[in-house]
Amino acid sequence: MTLGEFEDMMDSCVRCSKCKFIPQLVIQSKRFSSICPSIDYYNFHAYSGGGRMIVASAYHKGRVELTKEMLDVIYSCTNCGGCEVSCKWVYELEPNEAIHELRVAAVEAGAGPMPKHKKYIELVERNNNPYGEDPEKRPAWLTDDITTDESSSTLYFVGCTASYRREEIAVATAKILNSAGEDFRLMGSDEMCCGSPVFRVGDEKKAIEIMKSNIEQFKETGIEKIITSCSGCYNMLKVEYPRFVEHDIEVIHTSQMIEEFIEEEKIKLTEKVPMKVTYHDPCHLGRMAEPYVPWEGEKIEVLSQVFIYDPPKPVRRGAGGVYDAPRNVLKQIPGVELVEMERIREYSYCCGAGGGCRSAYPDFALWASNERLEEAESTDASTLVSACPFCGTNFKEGIESRKSEMDYFDLTELVLRSMGGGK
Amino acid sequence: MLEKKVYEAFTKIVGERHISQDLAVMDTYAFQWCNEIEGAQRGEEPQRFGVRPLAVVLPESTEQVQSIVKLCNEHDVTFKAFCTGMGPWAGVSDPRAIQIDLRRMNRIIEVDEKNMYAVIEPYVTNAELQSELFEFGLMHHAQGAGPQTAPLASHTSFVGPGFTSPYTGFSARNVLGVEWVLPEGEILRLGSFDHSGKWFTGDGPGISLRGIMRGWLGTYGGLGVFTKAAIRLFSWPAPKDWKWKTSGTIPDYDWDVPPYWQMYVLNFEEWEEYQKAMYELSDREVTMVATTSAPEGLAALFTNTKQDAIETIFAGLLAKTRNYIVMLVAAHTQREFDFRTKLVRLIMEKYGGNDLIAEGVTTPMPMHYGETVRNMLGGHAFRFSNCFQSTHGGMDTISMAVRLAQLNQPIKQKYIDKGVIGDDRGLGIWITSYESGHMAHMEAPTVYDPTDIESCLGYAAYQDDCNQLDLDNALGMPFFIVGDEVHNFYAKRAMNYPDWLRKIKGAFDPNGVSDPSHYVKGVEKKK
Repeated sequence: MTLGEFEDMMDSCVRCSKCKFIPQLVIQSKRFSSICPSIDYYNFHAYSGGGRMIVASAYHKGRVELTKEMLDVIYSCTNCGGCEVSCKWVYELEPNEAIHELRVAAVEAGAGPMPKHKKYIELVERNNNPYGEDPEKRPAWLTDDITTDESSSTLYFVGCTASYRREEIAVATAKILNSAGEDFRLMGSDEMCCGSPVFRVGDEKKAIEIMKSNIEQFKETGIEKIITSCSGCYNMLKVEYPRFVEHDIEVIHTSQMIEEFIEEEKIKLTEKVPMKVTYHDPCHLGRMAEPYVPWEGEKIEVLSQVFIYDPPKPVRRGAGGVYDAPRNVLKQIPGVELVEMERIREYSYCCGAGGGCRSAYPDFALWASNERLEEAESTDASTLVSACPFCGTNFKEGIESRKSEMDYFDLTELVLRSMGGGK
Repeated sequence: MLEKKVYEAFTKIVGERHISQDLAVMDTYAFQWCNEIEGAQRGEEPQRFGVRPLAVVLPESTEQVQSIVKLCNEHDVTFKAFCTGMGPWAGVSDPRAIQIDLRRMNRIIEVDEKNMYAVIEPYVTNAELQSELFEFGLMHHAQGAGPQTAPLASHTSFVGPGFTSPYTGFSARNVLGVEWVLPEGEILRLGSFDHSGKWFTGDGPGISLRGIMRGWLGTYGGLGVFTKAAIRLFSWPAPKDWKWKTSGTIPDYDWDVPPYWQMYVLNFEEWEEYQKAMYELSDREVTMVATTSAPEGLAALFTNTKQDAIETIFAGLLAKTRNYIVMLVAAHTQREFDFRTKLVRLIMEKYGGNDLIAEGVTTPMPMHYGETVRNMLGGHAFRFSNCFQSTHGGMDTISMAVRLAQLNQPIKQKYIDKGVIGDDRGLGIWITSYESGHMAHMEAPTVYDPTDIESCLGYAAYQDDCNQLDLDNALGMPFFIVGDEVHNFYAKRAMNYPDWLRKIKGAFDPNGVSDPSHYVKGVEKKK
């Protein structure tokens, strides 16, 4: 869609502010009532989902130009989709989609993305990862006791962050796969960024090139199934890729894979992991992971000024994310006590890292991480668990900055521990 | 743009992070729901972008608000403050105005359990306040605008009926005291606070001025800035250990209904029986909620999506629904519950009504109980076209509400026939009784399409017709779309009250810097 195609939607915002909060019915306390880290940090209405739709409308109508401050408004959004979940409780509006289109428009106008984004996009183009690391060192995390099978049609798509920054997740995932007796291969130094950091900041043209290149590579190597331990990669491969590049490759997240292994008794969680944990739903594994369902039909006026879609148009409300699998896995780890935060599942509070914020607005990203950590601490859990290396990196930084006594683990790490180290 | 030195002076008060004059940021304050209708009424092309403020400031304290207001007086800059800022009345009307966004002032200062009041800052929302009151076994009155809006705004500056009005009244009645930055920057605290350090009453010992501060309609933020409000609380009819608990996934959540709660939809064939039942149900204090809408509205109340609402309408709901009252009996004990439910049945039978829930015509799920007491049901009306607004707004007797509903129908039907507003067969209304007596509020929610010029123009013309109807038949006045011209329209039939409002405005705001917007302009400006 183009920004113009969102015009009616943008003009229909009633500026009600629901987009700033979790769905009103599920609010349990004042402290944890909000859903948007951006409006919480910056406060001006422009920094909310609805506010950004208005900014998009003003830009589309030629009322404003892309100033430095407006670019900050556009890019200091984690693109977490929380605003859209709350908005759709009542309205047929898609603020998160409109924000994405505004970013695309900013890039097309030559003003976006932000300098830090441009820099990492260059690195993705040059080094296949946004960190500028040596592609040859991508599989450096691989230890001698891990077995891969280069003839397998199952790919463990490690992702840039687990490859270079959170290697323990890659190791744990590979060991779990080995323990389950599941053959898999890696792309090794040929693995390319999934395109998420490029796509999220609106450089859609380059992102689509990456998607096409990756799919081509997968097809050439006979990949039929992809396992990813990164929520961002999962979201791209599972949700965004099919919108732009045709493929029929099965994509699953490690949490789903582990749940399946446990059910099929391919792995056994026997070792006690005595800890009280709380689980953070990564946005890209949760509300944003709900697939776009293609729809064809017509808009019918059933009553004066009231239209419906025939057949009914699927509404992407965030309910279809991966919420139960990680929880089911945690519940089966002996010794683990799972306690929930107030904001969970489709109304989870973002960690603050996504949408290019961690690179362009590090102070904001760290602040958001601290907000979420405060909520995690309020549960009296000793450990925060999630299933995304990017969330994990931001949380680890938050834990350090606030000198929290909380530990952070990826789900795969706890599973590996409960398996006795994967042996 | 503001002069550089003036902008710098504002910056000095709030800090660089909390001021902006970027046009895109400003446009998010210029854009307001219903600007398109007011524009159409003025003969302009309908659009949501209204007057753009010259700057937005985000103060964090009363002292900062005071400094901002004084600076505005000094430099002839108009100001308008808002809490969450939903609706055209929140926006500025003067091209040389700044917007004071009170978002950073969001503390619950005090909950006095024994004396049943809370002291709140501007950006505490209804849902937030409510969620913090349960542990005290208390609730507040939340205005129909919704759980995400601010009770301080409604209590100090708007009328504010809500879904629990039979039990909790309306906002104007429940304000006990305020901290008020007057248009010239003086701070005034109304009520008992300065006498005793407690906010138990807004009428003294100490100064009252409640009628001047807001009267019935409120000043819509046109007479200074309210930085704290003490509001009355009510007993929450659930055990103290009961917790607000939801489960499930959007849009079909589940909610733990407290014990001794029961919803009814009492349906009466004719308005006459409806009216008698409404009087008696209100008088006997049996219900926390007594709300009426169109049959189409009932379809929206107890469904979770637009698709479901439309399907419910076409599945035959309309044929079985006439003039109904959605009621919620919410009791503290089994005996109280038994007594009230028995009374409901007796009154229903006395006036020949039937219960649409018992008959399976409509089925509120547990989450709809939660939505009812969280004041979310009004929002369901937005589902039909992403937009509605209400004409009328009379708060008078139950019989006047019924009369208004009857007189409104043919006028509304005329615009439905033109295809410019939503088709509810002219029956789309919202009536709620309040204060457990003979009083009721009535407005006529009307669906229109804000992206369709003809629809906006049509709604605007319908609004004008409704205003004329109110005037001709003494049916009260609208409370959404008001301001100088609307006040003038009603003046002759109401003791020329706007003249008095203008005197108040002129006396309190001699420099005319508190943006009047939907209030009135003062008698004269010194400048």
